[in-house]
Amino acid sequence: MRRLIVIASALLFFTLLFIAFWVSRRPKPVALIPSLTGQVEYCLTCHVDLAEISPSHPVKTFGCVICHGGERLALDANLAHSSMRGGKNPADFSVVQASCGGDNCHSGSAVTFHDEIQRSTTSIQDTYAGAIALIRFTFGDQPDLLARLATRAIEDPQSTSGITSLGLFVPSQAASPSVRLFGQNCLICHLSAQPYEESQYFRFTGCAACHTPTQPPEINGPSVGDPAKIHKLTTAMPYTQCDTCHNRGNYDLRTMTFQPRPDNPTDRLHHYYQPISEFTKCEYTLDCVDCHTRTEAMGDGSLYSSKFDVEYTQCRTCHGTLTDLPPTRTLTDPNDLAFRMATLNPVVDLKLGDTILVTAKGEPIWNSRLLPDGTYQMVGKVTGQTFTFRPVKGTGCKQDPSNQTAASCHQCHSVQR
Amino acid sequence: MNERWSEPSISRRDFLKLARTAFLTAGGLLGLAGLWRFFSFQAEPSAPTDFDLGPATAFAPGSRTVLAQVPAILLNTDKDFVALSLICPHLGCTVESKSDGFACPCHGSRFDLQGRLVRGPAARSLTPLRVETSTDGHLHVYTS
Repeated sequence: MRRLIVIASALLFFTLLFIAFWVSRRPKPVALIPSLTGQVEYCLTCHVDLAEISPSHPVKTFGCVICHGGERLALDANLAHSSMRGGKNPADFSVVQASCGGDNCHSGSAVTFHDEIQRSTTSIQDTYAGAIALIRFTFGDQPDLLARLATRAIEDPQSTSGITSLGLFVPSQAASPSVRLFGQNCLICHLSAQPYEESQYFRFTGCAACHTPTQPPEINGPSVGDPAKIHKLTTAMPYTQCDTCHNRGNYDLRTMTFQPRPDNPTDRLHHYYQPISEFTKCEYTLDCVDCHTRTEAMGDGSLYSSKFDVEYTQCRTCHGTLTDLPPTRTLTDPNDLAFRMATLNPVVDLKLGDTILVTAKGEPIWNSRLLPDGTYQMVGKVTGQTFTFRPVKGTGCKQDPSNQTAASCHQCHSVQR
Repeated sequence: MNERWSEPSISRRDFLKLARTAFLTAGGLLGLAGLWRFFSFQAEPSAPTDFDLGPATAFAPGSRTVLAQVPAILLNTDKDFVALSLICPHLGCTVESKSDGFACPCHGSRFDLQGRLVRGPAARSLTPLRVETSTDGHLHVYTS
């Protein structure tokens, strides 16, 4: 009996000793009470060294949980991560409303420019409705180019384009074998699609596909490290990020297979876009986002059949024509979108009274400015480089006024490749 | 050569008794330590709402003093003390004091020198805070 008591007391002692050892090895909780939520969260216990995701989302204000979800009081990694939204990517469109939405965040009113979620989830970059319509029309599965199907079924009663809903594209239900192959091999570009695994194509999905730069900003630029661990949001998207979808290669319509780029570019001019393309100097020295606007990239909240319905930036947007100067706007309203955009990416110091270029739809090209001598200045949103240029009006340009496509300008201004 | 085991200095019974006592004592101490740790746990203290700024005379007329610990700015006007919260009414970032007013570093909201909204995305002006002078002449700012 005495021996049993000794054994039991020894077991009790060693059990308690093990518990004390286990508890002592647990990290000391690091509490954070974000000013936005006022609720304590312990994520920084393990993630204290994580870089701020952006100046607009300081961790002291937002914390982690409001965007990422998760169990804010848990100290065990598995438990803490068990209810995270979208895994490592809360900006995936399947969860973006809960992660990034809210009237004051990204699903508010268009009037206050808080409608990014509505725009991007109806944009042609996510619906892929244009490509689907084009392929189905080409192979006889629909009679015209009007979009009917998308990567997911979507209703948009507020759409002003005449298309208020799109059905789900189910490749297996397509009549044409080519359309079925298209669905099988080619639905990897839209914003909700998982990208190819190769690192040069890696991007996240949803908003982060563009706003989390997973690629070095320049060809042969310094590595960004493990792209899957990048914790960054930016409005200064380098062209290399656009290239994760737009410059990887081509699709062979005969076999409906992806053909990677065959070239091995070593400089920006050759890397920038398809090897067959022509460029003026500004087209490859600037980044895509320097000219293409948020509406072109994210859409305007309506459903469309083609990217040509939403892409409208042309050479004349900045350079004008022989008869007209490019449209401009003098900033008189402190709530002008231009100020908001310039705050998020402060490469220019905009002031009331500045005159900036605007698109034909009135969107501010906020990184531009009309100079007193009648020339224009543009600052690269990614590079910070300053470019000065003249309008076409008053020059000896021989342009055809009725033809304002880039190809027309390339006839004289393209760079030898 | 005959070799004999020497007699142990402690009997087997006494050894077991000693071991039992030692294990139970150590286990009891560990258990007590665990209980102490459990009952002494303190939740995160709630944020203070009353800030003693010291003597009111320390703030000269016309002065504008940033109170980082609140965060707020204390204005000594000709008539009275006025405190404005530096928490941006948009999403709660701390606004920065500038020569022409206040600017939110997160989303660019601007406020004039009196804290009135100049531009969004904030939809209202900076929040005024209650300021009182206590009987000992100290200024107190209250955030709620």
